[in-house]
Amino acid sequence: MSTLATTLPVRPSATRRYLRETGLLVARGLRMIPRVPTRLSDVTIQPVLFTLLFLYVFGSAIHIHGIRYQDYLLPGLLGQSLAFGVLGAGTATVTDFTSGVVDRFKSLPVTRLSVISAQVIGQVLEQLLGLAIVTGLGLALGWHPTAGVGGAFALLGLVLLGLTAFTWFGVLLGMVVHDSDAMQGLGFAIVLPLSFLAGTFVPIKGMALVPRVIGEWDPLSAIVAAVRLVAQGVRSQGSPELDHPVIAMVGWCLLIIAVCVPLALRRFRTAISSN
Amino acid sequence: MSNLAVLTEGLTRRFGELTAVDHLDLEVEEGRVVSLLGPNGAGKTTVVRMLATLLQPTGGRALVCGHDVVTDADAVRQRISLTGQFAALEANLTARENLVLMARLRGYGRRSAAAVVDGLIDRFEIGEFAGKLVKGLSGGQRRRVDLAASMVVRPQLLALDEPTTGLDPRSRQAVWSTVRDLVDEGVTVLLTTQYLEEADALADRVVMIDHGRAVASGTPSELKTRIGDQRVDVVAVDSAGFEDVLAALAPRFSVSVSRERRTVSVEAPDELADLAAVSAALRASGVVVDEVALRRPTLDDAFLALTGQPTGAALQEVAP
Repeated sequence: MSTLATTLPVRPSATRRYLRETGLLVARGLRMIPRVPTRLSDVTIQPVLFTLLFLYVFGSAIHIHGIRYQDYLLPGLLGQSLAFGVLGAGTATVTDFTSGVVDRFKSLPVTRLSVISAQVIGQVLEQLLGLAIVTGLGLALGWHPTAGVGGAFALLGLVLLGLTAFTWFGVLLGMVVHDSDAMQGLGFAIVLPLSFLAGTFVPIKGMALVPRVIGEWDPLSAIVAAVRLVAQGVRSQGSPELDHPVIAMVGWCLLIIAVCVPLALRRFRTAISSN
Repeated sequence: MSNLAVLTEGLTRRFGELTAVDHLDLEVEEGRVVSLLGPNGAGKTTVVRMLATLLQPTGGRALVCGHDVVTDADAVRQRISLTGQFAALEANLTARENLVLMARLRGYGRRSAAAVVDGLIDRFEIGEFAGKLVKGLSGGQRRRVDLAASMVVRPQLLALDEPTTGLDPRSRQAVWSTVRDLVDEGVTVLLTTQYLEEADALADRVVMIDHGRAVASGTPSELKTRIGDQRVDVVAVDSAGFEDVLAALAPRFSVSVSRERRTVSVEAPDELADLAAVSAALRASGVVVDEVALRRPTLDDAFLALTGQPTGAALQEVAP
C-alpha cells in the first residue's frame, strides 16, 4: 500500500503539460533508436547506398557540362532524402498505431496533440540524422559546396521546412494506409520514380519528352533545384518552378503543411474516438 | 449512484452491421470485483474500451465514477486504468523505462517517478527483469509489468481485459494473486475473461455476456448452482458408435448430447460414483468408446444451462 501513490501530482497548465508530454514522448522515441537499428536503415543505409552507387557506378558514365558529378549529385541526394522522409514517418506511424502503444497513451490523461507532435518531431530528428550522414559522406568523397555560412543556414532552414512538410504528409499517409507493407509499396511506387524524375541524378532538360514534362512540374524537382541552388549556386531551367526553385519549394512545402496538418489532426482525432 | 464505479444504461456499440454491444446495463459497486464472462467476440473488450474512452458508444451512456465517458472523458481517464489484452508496453524499452515513462506522463517529476517505479518493481516482483527489454520478457512477466503500469497512479477503477489469456497455469496463479492483493487494498476491478474458473476465482459478481447482451448475472456460487455439477463425458469412436452409446446411457441417466463432437454428457452430481455407474453401463452394453472423462462444466455448458443456447449460436445469424 505504501508503495502506491494515492493522489495525482499537481496538474500544470495545458500548454506546459503539452510541452512536457511531447518532450517525454520524443525522448522515448530517441531512446529506442539504437535498439531498433533497422528502423534507421531508411535514413542511413539507403542514402549511403544511393550516394556510393551513383557516384561510382553511374557517375563514371554521367558527365554534366560545367560541374563535377559530386557537386551535382550531393545536393540532389539531399533533396531526395527529404522526400523519402514520407516513408519513414509513414512506417513509424503505422507501427505505433498497430502496436497498441497509442491505445495506452489514449487511456492516459495525456494531451492528444502531444502524441502526434512527438511523432512528427521524432521523425524530423531521425531524418536530420540521415541528412547529416549523407552530407558527411559527400564531403568526405569530394563534394565542395559553394555556400557560405549564410547559405548553410538558408539550407538548414529549407531542409527543416521540407522535413516538416514531408513528415506530416507521411504521418497522414500512415494513418490512412494503416499497413506497413502497403506503406513501403506506396513509397516505391510513387516517391522513388518522382525522385528520379526530379533531376536528382541527371538534368531534367536532357530527358525524353514525357519524363521531362513530369520532371518540370514534379514538386520534388523544386526541392532538388532549390537545394542545388543554395548549396552549389547551380541554376536549373525549364519551367516556372525550376526557374524560381526556392520560392517554389517554400510554396510546395507550405501547401503540403496547410493540407496535411488539418487532415492528419482530424484523422488522428477520429482514430482515437472510434477505431 | 455515487458509490458506483461503473454504471451503463442501454450501452450500445455498432460496427457497421454488427452490434458488438447491445443495450447493456451494467453496475459495478465500488470496492467490488465484477467479471464480464463470455466467449470470444461476445463484446467484452468493446465494453471495456468504451469505459476507458478508447471507443465511443453509438448508443446509451456509460458513467465511470459518476463521469460520462463521452462528455467528461478527461475525468474518466484520470480514474480508470486499463490493462489490455495485448500488453501495450513499448517492446524496445526495458520494463523499468516503460514504467518510468508512464509515471512521468502521469505528471511525476524525474525523482518522484523513480521512487514510484522502485516501489512498483518491488510490489509486483519485477526486479529480476526490470532491466530487460520488454520484447525479451515472457508473457507472464509482461503481464506483471503491464499491471504495474496500470498502478502507477492508483486508479479508482482497474479494468483488466482478459488478464491471463495465453498464460501458463503458474503465471495465471501469479496474476490472480496480484489481482487479489489489489482488491484487498480496495481497488475496484472490472475483469473480462472467457474462463469460468477465473471469474469464479476472482469475482464477487459475474455478468455473463453473449452477442453484446447480458444473459445472466449473479455471484459465482449462484451461477454454479444454476449451471449444475460435474458431468461424465463419453466420446464415441464414430457416429454409429455414438448411437450405441446413447442407447446404452439414455434410459438410465440424465444425458445431453453433442452430435458433432460424438459426445454424450451425463450429469454427475455424485462425481466418482456416477463415473463408475456410467462405466459399468457402458461395459455391460459392450460398446467401444474413445474416451470417458469426469469434468467440470465449461463455459459452453454454462451458456447452454443458462440460456438454452450454446455460445455463438446466434452470432452466425447476425454476422454479415
